[in-house]
Amino acid sequence: MLSALIIDDEAPSREELKALLATAPDVEIVGECSNAVEGLSAIHRLRPDVVFLDIQMPRVSGLEMVSMIEPSALPHIVFVTAYDEHALKAFEEHAADYLLKPIDPQRLEKTLDWLRAGKRPAATAFPGADSPLRQIPCITRNRIVLIALEDVEYVNTDVCGVQVVAMNKQGVTELTLKILQERTALVHCHRQYLINLAQIAEIELLDNGAAEIVTQSGKRVPVSRRYLREIKDKLLIS
Amino acid sequence: MLELQNINHLALIGSLLQQMCVYLVIAYMLSKTPLFAPLMQVTVRLPDKLVCYLVFSAFCIMGTYLGFQIEGAIANTRAIGAVLGGILGGPVVGLAVGLTGGLHRYSLGGYTDTACAVSTTVEGLIGGYLHLFLLKRHRADRLLSPLIALGATLFAEISQMAIILLLARPFDDATRLVAHIALPMIVTNSVGAALFMRLILDRRETLEKYSIAFSAKALRIAERSVGVLLQGFNEHNCTRLAQIVREETGVGAVAITDCEKLLGFVGIGADHHLPGTPISSPHTFYAIAHNEVVYADGATIAYQCSVSKDCKLGSSLVIPLRGEGNRVFGTIKLYEPKSKFFSSLNRTLGEGIARLLSNQVLAGTIEEQKRLLVQAEIKLLQAQINPHFLFNALNTLAAIIRRDPEAARSIVQYLSTFFRKSLKRVSDESTLKDEIEHVDAYLRIELARFAGRLDVEFAVADDLLHLRLPTFSLQPIVENAIKYGISQMLEPGKITISAERQGDGLTIVIEDSAGLYKPKPDGDGLGMNLVDRRIKIRYGAAYGIDVTCQPERWTRVTIRVPVEEELVAC
Repeated sequence: MLSALIIDDEAPSREELKALLATAPDVEIVGECSNAVEGLSAIHRLRPDVVFLDIQMPRVSGLEMVSMIEPSALPHIVFVTAYDEHALKAFEEHAADYLLKPIDPQRLEKTLDWLRAGKRPAATAFPGADSPLRQIPCITRNRIVLIALEDVEYVNTDVCGVQVVAMNKQGVTELTLKILQERTALVHCHRQYLINLAQIAEIELLDNGAAEIVTQSGKRVPVSRRYLREIKDKLLIS
Repeated sequence: MLELQNINHLALIGSLLQQMCVYLVIAYMLSKTPLFAPLMQVTVRLPDKLVCYLVFSAFCIMGTYLGFQIEGAIANTRAIGAVLGGILGGPVVGLAVGLTGGLHRYSLGGYTDTACAVSTTVEGLIGGYLHLFLLKRHRADRLLSPLIALGATLFAEISQMAIILLLARPFDDATRLVAHIALPMIVTNSVGAALFMRLILDRRETLEKYSIAFSAKALRIAERSVGVLLQGFNEHNCTRLAQIVREETGVGAVAITDCEKLLGFVGIGADHHLPGTPISSPHTFYAIAHNEVVYADGATIAYQCSVSKDCKLGSSLVIPLRGEGNRVFGTIKLYEPKSKFFSSLNRTLGEGIARLLSNQVLAGTIEEQKRLLVQAEIKLLQAQINPHFLFNALNTLAAIIRRDPEAARSIVQYLSTFFRKSLKRVSDESTLKDEIEHVDAYLRIELARFAGRLDVEFAVADDLLHLRLPTFSLQPIVENAIKYGISQMLEPGKITISAERQGDGLTIVIEDSAGLYKPKPDGDGLGMNLVDRRIKIRYGAAYGIDVTCQPERWTRVTIRVPVEEELVAC
């Protein structure tokens, strides 16, 4: 059995794909999402074998979404697009799997055959898979917010998940600290914290060799001894 | 030789005045030549100064020759040349003229030769000094004043008499001579200088009047012909233009040609100079081939009409019309009939008119290119939007066919309406009704595609639907609102299209509830920029597109066009 997730913002588009997949007896549709942020959390939650991913979606495109997932956690991605010259060119270059809307059932069957045979391209082969992030999608009070990277003051993990804190908003994101550290300019100041250097107002050195960062909006962020040196180097403080 | 006893003052004044008349007639005739041009204004150019020196030296010498001898002396009008030379040419010219006249006089001998040579030089210097004086006082305008010339010459002649008394020997003879000739010479020379100056002034005024009339003529032609050629360099417009040029210049006939054929002909001989016929005149061929003005005045260069032997036209001025890169694209020809004695054909005016027409044609070409460019851009825009929209629409359709074939049928209908309207409309303007139908078909498809995420509201009163605006003004804006607005919203959104008449303007507002507008330098905003440019080119900078945005709340695009009431058949 292949578990499949559909992420597309257009309802008729999802409907059509569901109808086509329904003809394959060994494919189970485990969920459908109407945007990339929901899709991100569904991927983490449902761990599908394959994701049918639309490219043009509100605020976070399909390509951008892929870059927000750790390669190890990435399912097989089949991009679905109506018309996008740039993306198509990139797919060809990276030998990524893609379907064109309206979807040709025979072409879809070919993709399913590859999947059944267990062939899946390496994760890095996705176009834009390692491109830097511009924004972090978060959920606050059942709403999706996108926090622009330059507004982020710091990020930390706690029992609720990964918290993104900006001057006047904050939320929980599906993105891991690892991805955030790799794909953004945020740097570790503590094992559980990433700090935006541009948002540092001051650093208070403590007696025990650790320190505390005060952000532009006055929030306090711990700095462990291990990371203080790196932070100082980056800020050109000797 | 006159005996002093036999002459009385009045007779001497009379003779000298007669002599001056000859002198002034010569001056008058000379004033008709280009030699006089440098004398009419204050100039520092060396060639002008040289002309000034030559002319006045000639007058100086002539004054001596025209004088008559009295007891070995010469009663004369030499002073006029020296003083005026100084006044008009400055001290250097004055000195040179005085010296030349003086040395010439000296060469003729007589007991006053030295005195006369010195005094003439002094007279030239007096004029020159006056020149300097007036310039320093910033009263250069007074240089040409006849009264000042009179005063200066009066003073110069008195000085001359004094110098004769000082230098000429025997003193008794000199005294007697001065007693007799002083009054006649002072009077004649002063009056002569004033009259001479008046002559120069008159000549200048005539020239000014002429050039004013000339400019006025050119300006009137310019004014009347504005825009005529903007619509193209063709037979109709060229005939209109030829008419204007003929009315304003009063020449016998006017023709305008391109490089192959006659485009417009108005005036004498219009019965056989027919627009549309090929050029046959050798003068025109020459003008086109060599990019030169050809003036067949009928006297030095013969003119014979190349079409008909009975043609009454006797002279022709052919001026090439030059376009981009100075390339000849046609000619304008001015004709006078054989019967006309004084030709009013004027080369300079003709060249001016030709330049004017050339510029107009050039402007027309640029206007045409601009129009073509916009048209090409619209085509590009249409081609650019279609694939993305088309494939998404087809995909939506694929899904709906499965579920609701009836609904799918109506989508197909809207799709065909949309494409028919985008592809087939060739006219430049359409009604608001047309535009709204276009947008409606587009939005019906998008409504199906975004199923539940899009809401559309039209608020356009029926009495505005007949108003006109450039074709394809609305749809690109609505498409932008979907592409950069609604489709980027995580929640459902709404598009509102409203229209309102404000005075003599029609305002259409397209509002989306996304508020995600970001000004783009170019590229993605192509559709909106293009619509804005087209409206501005057509109606001016007061109209066009205006965007306001309340981030995350709404983006409002306002299209403003003037209301041009059409006469609708009732």
